[in-house]
Amino acid sequence: MTSATPTFDARGLADILDASSPEQLDALDFGVIGLDADAKVQRYNAFESQAAGLSPQRVIGEPLFTNVAPCLNNFMVAQRFEDAAVDASELDDTIDYVLTLRMRPIKVKLRLLASADSATRYVLVQRR
Amino acid sequence: MPFDDSVESLRAEHEALMQFLYLAPVGLVQAGIDGEIVMINPISAQLLMPLSPDGCLTNLFTALEGVAPGLRQECARYPQPNGMVFEGQHIHLRAEERRGVPQILSFTLLKLDAARIMAVIQDVTAEVRRERQLRQSDAWLNAILTRISDYALAAIDRAGRLCDWNDSIARVTGFGEHVVGSPYSIFYPPDAMTGEHLLDRLREADANGWSMDEGLRLRADGSQFWCSALIAPLPDREAFGDDPNAPAYCLILRDISDKRAATEKRRQAAFCDHLTSLANRRAFFEAAELELDRAAHTPRALALIVFDADHFKHVNDRYGHPAGDRVLCDLANILRDTFRAVDTVARLGGEEFAVLLPSTGIEQALAGAERLRLAVSTRLVAADGAEIAYTVSAGVAVLDGASAAGGGIDLLIKRADEALYQAKAQGRNRVAHWTPELSHHADTPQRSRNAG
Repeated sequence: MTSATPTFDARGLADILDASSPEQLDALDFGVIGLDADAKVQRYNAFESQAAGLSPQRVIGEPLFTNVAPCLNNFMVAQRFEDAAVDASELDDTIDYVLTLRMRPIKVKLRLLASADSATRYVLVQRR
Repeated sequence: MPFDDSVESLRAEHEALMQFLYLAPVGLVQAGIDGEIVMINPISAQLLMPLSPDGCLTNLFTALEGVAPGLRQECARYPQPNGMVFEGQHIHLRAEERRGVPQILSFTLLKLDAARIMAVIQDVTAEVRRERQLRQSDAWLNAILTRISDYALAAIDRAGRLCDWNDSIARVTGFGEHVVGSPYSIFYPPDAMTGEHLLDRLREADANGWSMDEGLRLRADGSQFWCSALIAPLPDREAFGDDPNAPAYCLILRDISDKRAATEKRRQAAFCDHLTSLANRRAFFEAAELELDRAAHTPRALALIVFDADHFKHVNDRYGHPAGDRVLCDLANILRDTFRAVDTVARLGGEEFAVLLPSTGIEQALAGAERLRLAVSTRLVAADGAEIAYTVSAGVAVLDGASAAGGGIDLLIKRADEALYQAKAQGRNRVAHWTPELSHHADTPQRSRNAG
């Protein structure tokens, strides 16, 4: 990876993230949460850890929608991943959302990424 | 203890506490008295984000405005310096077909002091379902165990016609032997029963072992009494073979006029809008669910009219909220007088009303909506020396047999809303009905509660 640091709205971001080392993810200026097929958290970068006030050790391996970020467990987010998995379809959508980081409502943009080819799915978080 | 250790242990403790709040399986919100959110946990965001009309969680009352109008006012009106403003109040969301989508929230609001409130929000959809089933069983036991002073017992055939006559029918209802062969709807006021409902109740008795309802019933002399009616399939009806006139069900009518007050009071608390005493959202969606179930089984038309008071915000701004409330109550009274007992007349929120009309086609529904519109346009509501004239716009939509099963109540509401928007766009004080073209206009906005 020699290219410049990718931005939140970069094209083909899922592939870039797949190929990034943990250190490279930590250098990003937006939150990265990578999920496996069971929606368990596999990747959790420094930006997200800092914003949520949770260290990666508490989060990695935990199911995202029930044990880490239940605020995303509704039809606006979790359902989208489920639907994409059922249809084996591509998901790349950016929505306005409000997260409850450190119990404060924070307006963010969420980018939801999933594809049939990749094992890792991503929730990306950027403050608005 | 070295300084670094204590900072580190504080940090760990803080993180553990934070995670405790992240994971708490109930929604917790702290806000200012005006609803401005100070702290909020994830479950609150999970439940509130899909409801929030502005996509923000800046203000708790704004986020809930679409499904629970008036929280702000009721909180402001709360007289004590601190205490429980609402305790486990049920908030009914739009009925969704999808499983697992919350339909009923429980909402608790604690006033901490003049400046701060805390709220607890929970999805209680499954719990309420279970309770509803229990309530039905309770009603059944109640019907059996309560001391019965007098009752009428009649046999009815599979089409709902009375098979025989006996003294008990004469005692309780005053009807004579000539009623044999008439449908059991003769005991109902004419506007309280449709031909389809008559058969629905027989089918429900087949499915559940019994069917019970309570309400005003008719005596032969035209007088009415409060009655509990139970229909149960006869156990040995197969013995009669295919004879369509053979007894298939027993019908028990009990005069429970003396218990009416207590029953009504209980019903009022749970199913009525506090301002207008019309059905509330909960009663509306329960009725809609039942009617759609029935229509799915035996296709028939189901009509929905949504009414919206025109320029209502101006009424509130010009004459004040108490005057606005009077206008709403006036509208509620005309609605009650215009529609049948079998129709569900509900206040869905703010100045938004809905009438669900079972077994009603488009012509009849349009005529009803037009009658109401006309009646309203002649009214003057007295408030503080002023006389307020107002008008309403209406949107009408009908699900016929074929389309009833598919889209559910959401589709019906959406179409009626689109028609209402059309009526508003055409200048208000008018009735419009849904046509497929309306849905093709992608620019039809989600109706804002205060669009007036």
